[in-house]
This record gives sequence, C-alpha cells and structure tokens, in this order.
Amino acid sequence: MFLGRVVGEVWATRKMADLDGKRLLVIEALDERREPGASKVTPVVAADPLGAALGQRVIVAFGKAARVACGGDGDYAFEAAIVGIVDDFEIPQAPDSWRENAGGEPRAQRSAPARVERDAKPRKRGA
Amino acid sequence: MLVGTVVGHVWSTVKDPSLSGLRFLVVQPYTLGGEPTAETLVAVDPLGAGIGERVLVVFGRAARHAIGRGHDIGFQTAVAAIIDRMEFNDGASVGPTAAHDRPPAP
Repeated sequence: MFLGRVVGEVWATRKMADLDGKRLLVIEALDERREPGASKVTPVVAADPLGAALGQRVIVAFGKAARVACGGDGDYAFEAAIVGIVDDFEIPQAPDSWRENAGGEPRAQRSAPARVERDAKPRKRGA
Repeated sequence: MLVGTVVGHVWSTVKDPSLSGLRFLVVQPYTLGGEPTAETLVAVDPLGAGIGERVLVVFGRAARHAIGRGHDIGFQTAVAAIIDRMEFNDGASVGPTAAHDRPPAP
C-alpha cells in the first residue's frame, strides 16, 4: 500500500473481460520524488472505483484489498486499486512537491463511480 | 500492475507441465522519465500481443486468472490488456506503439 499521485489514465480495447468498464489510472508513488532530479521509475497502474482526478493524491492497495475495494473478492485480472483519495496529510519530512496541487477539479460524478465507456474518446485537454 | 512494451518472445520446451502451450513475452516496463529500464520481465500472453505493442501486465492471482487455467499453475505474470492509449497530466500521451507517442505540452 502506498501514497501516490494520479499522473495519467489508460485505455485498452483488447483486454480481459473483467477489466470492462474499469477505469485504470497511472499512479506515481510520492516517495519516488524525494531526490530532486532522481530518475523516474515505473509507475503503477491501478483500478479506480472512486473517481479520482488527474493530479490527486491517492492511497493504492494491492491484492485482496484491491479486489475488495472494487466490489468483490472473486477473480479479477488486476491486483492494484485506489482505496482512498487523500484530503490532507501531515508528514513533517515530506518535500514540498508532495504538497503541490497539480490536481484538477474533482470529477463531477464523484458520488457515482465512474463508468468509462469502453470506446470512450480521451477527453480533450483544456477543452 | 504496470504498463510495458513487448520487446520479444521466449520459447521453452523443457518446462513445468502446467505451462505447456502458453505464449511467453518479454516485456520492458514503461517509465515516466522515458528512459528504458534495464530489467525486463517475462509474461504469459493470453491475448496475442505483438512486438512493439504496449501491454498491461498483472501479477499473482490476477495473472493466474488471466491465464485461465486455475490457480495451480507455475507462473505469476500475465498480459491482461493491450493498451490503446495512455494520457498524462503533463499533456504527454502514449499510443499503442512508440511511433504514436506525443511529448509533454510545452
């Protein structure tokens, strides 16, 4: 489980059936940026049952915790999910970059989990 | 799970019987900095991805489920999706192959 920032979104047409309708976000762990200029590592892709926005800080869980967060503990073809959207944190040694609010507005359909159309066009930036 | 680029195939004759008939890909993980990682990983591919395509790789129980042969199988990495597009909050985007990538907005 880790604290990360949503940096992107993934779309796929050819996929396992149980990924249908699942919103997949790209998450960069916050500690990766402790050293300014350190080379960036592989981001984690996590299912998003909560409707997190790009730039928001989130808590990501793996394994059974991720499956439960997505509404069951059966077999799913993913093993990482967002289980919380961070409102605030108090970490005295956290670098300023953790506080940067690169986030946009929270998603309008925040209360109703996002249902991404399978063939949905990516939203135009700034439109 | 992570996103990576298919960089090759692996064939193996002498292997655990539970793995017979499976297709193995070599996948290089995608990094945000754009520099390729040194390490690669091997994943079972139930979907039929080709070299150069971007794929979503899952691990553990999710991978065994994606492979579809139950949970008593000697493998823990699998391709669960073939990526059409990834879009980042700095304006960069990534397509199905490196030729479709777009750099961050200035």
